[in-house]
Amino acid sequence: MIVGRYFFANSARFVPARASVDDKRILKITGEDGGSLAEAPLRQVKITPRLADLPRKLMLPDGACFETLDNDGVDELIGIARHLVSGGWMDRLERSWRAIVVSIILASAAVGAFVVWGIPALAFQLAMKTPDWMAAAVSDQTMTVLDSHYIQATEISEADQAKAMRIFEQVAKTGACAPHVCRLLFRSRLGANAFALPDGRIVMTDAMWQMAKPEELAGVFAHEMAHVRLAHGLQRVYEASLVPALIVVVTGDISQIGQMAVILPGVLVQSAYSREFETEADRSALTTLRKLGINPAVMAGLLERMDRERCGDRPCGGSWLGDHPDTAFRAALYRSGR
Amino acid sequence: MSQAGTAAAPTLYPFEFRGTGSAYFGIWIVNLALTIVTVGIFSAWAKVRTRRYFNGSTWVAGHAFDYHASGYRILIGRAIALALLLAYTLSTHFHPAIKVLWYLAGAWLLPWLANSSIRFNARNTSYRNLRFNFTATDTEAFMAIVLWPFLGLITALILWPFAQRQKDYFYINNHTFGGRYFETKFPTWRMYAIFAIGLGVYGFILAVLLGLGFAAMAVLQQSHGTPFANVPPAAVGYIVIAMFYLPFLLIAPAIHTMIVNLTASGTLFDDKHRLESKMDPLKVTGIVISNVALCLVTLGFYYPWAKVRLARYQMSKLTLVASGDVDSYVSEVFDSQSAVGEEIGSVFSFDFGL
Repeated sequence: MIVGRYFFANSARFVPARASVDDKRILKITGEDGGSLAEAPLRQVKITPRLADLPRKLMLPDGACFETLDNDGVDELIGIARHLVSGGWMDRLERSWRAIVVSIILASAAVGAFVVWGIPALAFQLAMKTPDWMAAAVSDQTMTVLDSHYIQATEISEADQAKAMRIFEQVAKTGACAPHVCRLLFRSRLGANAFALPDGRIVMTDAMWQMAKPEELAGVFAHEMAHVRLAHGLQRVYEASLVPALIVVVTGDISQIGQMAVILPGVLVQSAYSREFETEADRSALTTLRKLGINPAVMAGLLERMDRERCGDRPCGGSWLGDHPDTAFRAALYRSGR
Repeated sequence: MSQAGTAAAPTLYPFEFRGTGSAYFGIWIVNLALTIVTVGIFSAWAKVRTRRYFNGSTWVAGHAFDYHASGYRILIGRAIALALLLAYTLSTHFHPAIKVLWYLAGAWLLPWLANSSIRFNARNTSYRNLRFNFTATDTEAFMAIVLWPFLGLITALILWPFAQRQKDYFYINNHTFGGRYFETKFPTWRMYAIFAIGLGVYGFILAVLLGLGFAAMAVLQQSHGTPFANVPPAAVGYIVIAMFYLPFLLIAPAIHTMIVNLTASGTLFDDKHRLESKMDPLKVTGIVISNVALCLVTLGFYYPWAKVRLARYQMSKLTLVASGDVDSYVSEVFDSQSAVGEEIGSVFSFDFGL
């Protein structure tokens, strides 16, 4: 016998009531005075699955409903007819500390593995399958923004440009990048810098040309060509949409998108991926330099000079938010040659 | 006062959220694990349990809400949404020009999807053995979520607060409970006031950030020459975007709170009973920011407590102001509503998660 409230058929009107099941599996609802309110065979009654300590409902076929907070009582009442209720196993899992511990381990492992291996692998596959016209469109867009706001036409003489071009072609010939894909462009401003766009355009700033010796320049080109060959730019674009997608899955909530909760971890994770790309490009540049007969250690010198220009005598240092690994790490990589 | 008691004194019924972070943690983590094991399929049932927990933990006037959706129908809705997304991606992949057709189709599809989702959730929500319903036509949905926002955008956001009001009217005024309507009404200038406050605070935070940025640049310039030297262009882009986006993120919870206060407090049910929402926008902002910080520090495991904490605060500031005793009113007015019950499930409606 369990105590609850009986709502009349399709009505918000209720009376205090009790429920019981007789040995013929008939659910009987009686009023406080003992008078019968309703009867129905148990198998026609829809019983809501147990969930935490929420009120439980026995929904009768005519639209009436018996509601109670006595969850254990309901479980006992329907004990013999448990198969009529779906989802009881869910509640047992949700309240079992063993299932919760297993779930924590499983979910952490799965989410961790997805962040560490899944997203990079998926982004790589997608980047490799992206048609050339799409990469070109993305690059056009970036170049337009850069040209109109951040960078200007070069001031390097044509003779010097031809010199740089020759080095660029030599590097490309080692297999660093197919010659018809990678092209060198000259621009000024933004300090000593070089960057690659997904479709193979590699931009070098005037300050970089002035700062780097030819051997170092070969290393810079090799590094940027690796970004192009390994489609790092496109992978970043895909990672930028896979990270929020993962957060939606974990929270089960689409409206979270665009909120702080999504953006901050997204930025942290994405800069970690970006640092991995830089290391990958550095390793590739190392191999290319060897093929050209250049000692990779020259790159360490360039990186340190760039750092000094930017931050003075103090080292710039790396950070969780930085998209490049810190200079000491990169210089050590080039010096060790591994 | 007349003897018939037509002007009964208003009775206050505060809403209350009785859920706990620890109970929701168990539900969340177990459902997440099952979702992972089933490659996402279980997520439909996970959604039902989550929503049921939040509805069922929300009490007013001695009764809790409930949620009755079946996981199968949510799964079907998601399959349809996924199929549409795939069709869009594949067709635009091979014929980029086809996008134009999709945008035209979207203008029709989006209202239909939104209507279907809102209706699905309303019909599966119950209180005191009766269901809610949502009765908007697709034309009304088109006006509220396509046409007005579009007009708001092309008028350089001058009409945006008005478009927001149209959306709130569409959402609230088409909801019914036991066949009787909710109706919100408020002067448009109050929506403009909210956006004006938002714009002012946004401008202030942006000015402070830009000021700090310029000061930092000036200091750098004196000591190291060109600012942004050696900063990769991508990073410059991020910094600029972050400067404009950060203030927006900071004010979004407060703006949303003010809009909910305005629309809820303007809501009448069955021309008799009022809702009253008195959330403090600053307090909500504080809760949201500390929630995000705690989620980051705990690698996401604080999420269930974060969600419960916000729901608790929101519900603690919501009150039903009933004209007279709500219990006898409900018992009398909603004694038999068989027509409403029969309609459920007979119309094509799914939740697309919009």
